[in-house]
Amino acid sequence: MTFIKVAISNLRRNPVRSLLTGLSLAVSAATLSVVLSLDQGYSNAVTNDLVHKTGVHMYITKEGCPIEAASVIAQGGLSPLYVDESIVARLEKMPELAAVMPFKLFAVTTDDGSRTDIFMGITDAVEKIKPDWRFASGGWFTTRDSIILGAEMARIENLGIGDRTYVEHFDTEFVVSGILHRNYSQDDGTFFMPLATAQSLVKREGKLSAVALKLADISAMDTVRNRIRASMPADYFVIGSRELSDGILQFFSSTRAIMFVMVGVAFLISVCGIINTMLMAVLERRREIAYLKCVGAGKYDLLRLISLETTAIAIAGSAVGALLGMVLSPVSGNLLRRFLIAYVPSGAIARPDPVIALAAFGVCTLVGMACSLYPALRAAKIIPMEVLRNE
Amino acid sequence: MNNKAIIQLDNVSKNYRRGPETVHAVKDVSLSVAPGEYVAVVGHSGSGKTTLMNIMGCLDRPSNGRVTVNGREIQEESESGLTRLRQTSIGFVFQQFFLIPTLNVIENVTLPSLFAGHKPNGRAMELLGKVGLENRLHHLPGELSGGEMQRVAIARSLINAPPILLADEPTGNLDSKNAGLIMDLFEQLNADGVTIVLVTHNSDIVKRCGRTVQIEDGAIIQ
Repeated sequence: MTFIKVAISNLRRNPVRSLLTGLSLAVSAATLSVVLSLDQGYSNAVTNDLVHKTGVHMYITKEGCPIEAASVIAQGGLSPLYVDESIVARLEKMPELAAVMPFKLFAVTTDDGSRTDIFMGITDAVEKIKPDWRFASGGWFTTRDSIILGAEMARIENLGIGDRTYVEHFDTEFVVSGILHRNYSQDDGTFFMPLATAQSLVKREGKLSAVALKLADISAMDTVRNRIRASMPADYFVIGSRELSDGILQFFSSTRAIMFVMVGVAFLISVCGIINTMLMAVLERRREIAYLKCVGAGKYDLLRLISLETTAIAIAGSAVGALLGMVLSPVSGNLLRRFLIAYVPSGAIARPDPVIALAAFGVCTLVGMACSLYPALRAAKIIPMEVLRNE
Repeated sequence: MNNKAIIQLDNVSKNYRRGPETVHAVKDVSLSVAPGEYVAVVGHSGSGKTTLMNIMGCLDRPSNGRVTVNGREIQEESESGLTRLRQTSIGFVFQQFFLIPTLNVIENVTLPSLFAGHKPNGRAMELLGKVGLENRLHHLPGELSGGEMQRVAIARSLINAPPILLADEPTGNLDSKNAGLIMDLFEQLNADGVTIVLVTHNSDIVKRCGRTVQIEDGAIIQ
């Protein structure tokens, strides 16, 4: 006979109630696990997209907030802000820059809104900037109407080298000159075309969405940025890719705050549920607890017994919830993708993470254990005489 | 004071509040119970006999007077000291059996030894044999008759080998046949040296006790 056995046996008295209490904690653990996965996953995906995979150290855009820049650079859309192409020649003369890539980025949505394609006008500098830029087949543009397809785009459109594709929005036919290797970034779903062609299609000749820069020595970033700022028009904006991702993540913080409020509400409901359940369990057993005191159960014995009952529920509920959170994380990541405003990263927004699951399990178990304190104290304070006399 | 008494009450009073009024449950009671005695405490409902037994069982402290149980003055003891005294010196049997419904017979019997920190040593089996339930070890309380449940409760009260057994209407929920069996058991335990103080209304049971203490309006009248 052990305290644990007695505690578990007490939980069996009302299995439905014990199950529901455990489930409320499981919901909290799953919510916490999902929210932490989303928070971490989104940060990683944005940073990966904008810092690691692009190979870009800095962008030059027309002055505006980083979110707008991010939207223009990464998500498409025809921004009213643009950079004059004349700055490119000046930048290319700077020895501190390893590569200068001007680009024009825009998106075209079908009339029924069911599909949005991203087009990017580029120069051959892209090969110096993007670390994962490799052709799976074909090669560089051969004519003004050539396009290079991201791997996913080629798959969806079922296009090969030399195939023609008609873009109704521009009433133009393009010829596929190259198909890229899949690199699990925005590139996979992008149509690449010569910069001049892209500018012409959107009637922005000589205008750029932004200029991407790669530094020869990244440790000189601040110095180079100051030099560039000094040489650019006052309304041009020089932003590091890390700042860009931080800016997006800052914008995401309101979404994150809502998610954590949801976790808080889930916790509050669980805490109230557990305290209520355990209190009911104590009040229902007042005479029995009084008798246990008669036969020698001390205050600490009863504290231990009630705490163990709650802990058993907390461990079971938190474990189920943490596992559920791991399963639901990718699903919730895909759901969140639909509602993101700031920036939709290309990679998975949330992946199952055992460390997060373990953290959610630990936090929820501790919360559950803390919930046992009040009911346990009530049990410990039962005066056998009063209970046996009055009930 | 009788130095040989296992339970000694000297001028004990107990008052408690019930709403606006003060109830004088026990009034200036002196009582001495010798080791091995078999005492019946009788009285009408509300006469104070249960309060008196709770004081003897270290569940309650007197408002006035002195109480000594198994050589320890309970006024001097802390809460944990009284808990320890109950673990080692006193067994309780009540009209309701207070068995844990999800623990089987042997687990219920060994429960008090868990609180006392004793390791299982076969005493539970011995006691269950004594109360005639050696074949019901793994039955749950719900599978037992009232008489069997009370016998489990008696075995449980004795698991820590207390020298004193306090019983409050132990046959109150039983039919006459089972009540007789329980009383036989009490006599056997008393013959083995256990001091028994028993609260009852039942005159047949009173006849089987060695001494009767009658209490009325909180005072001993006989």
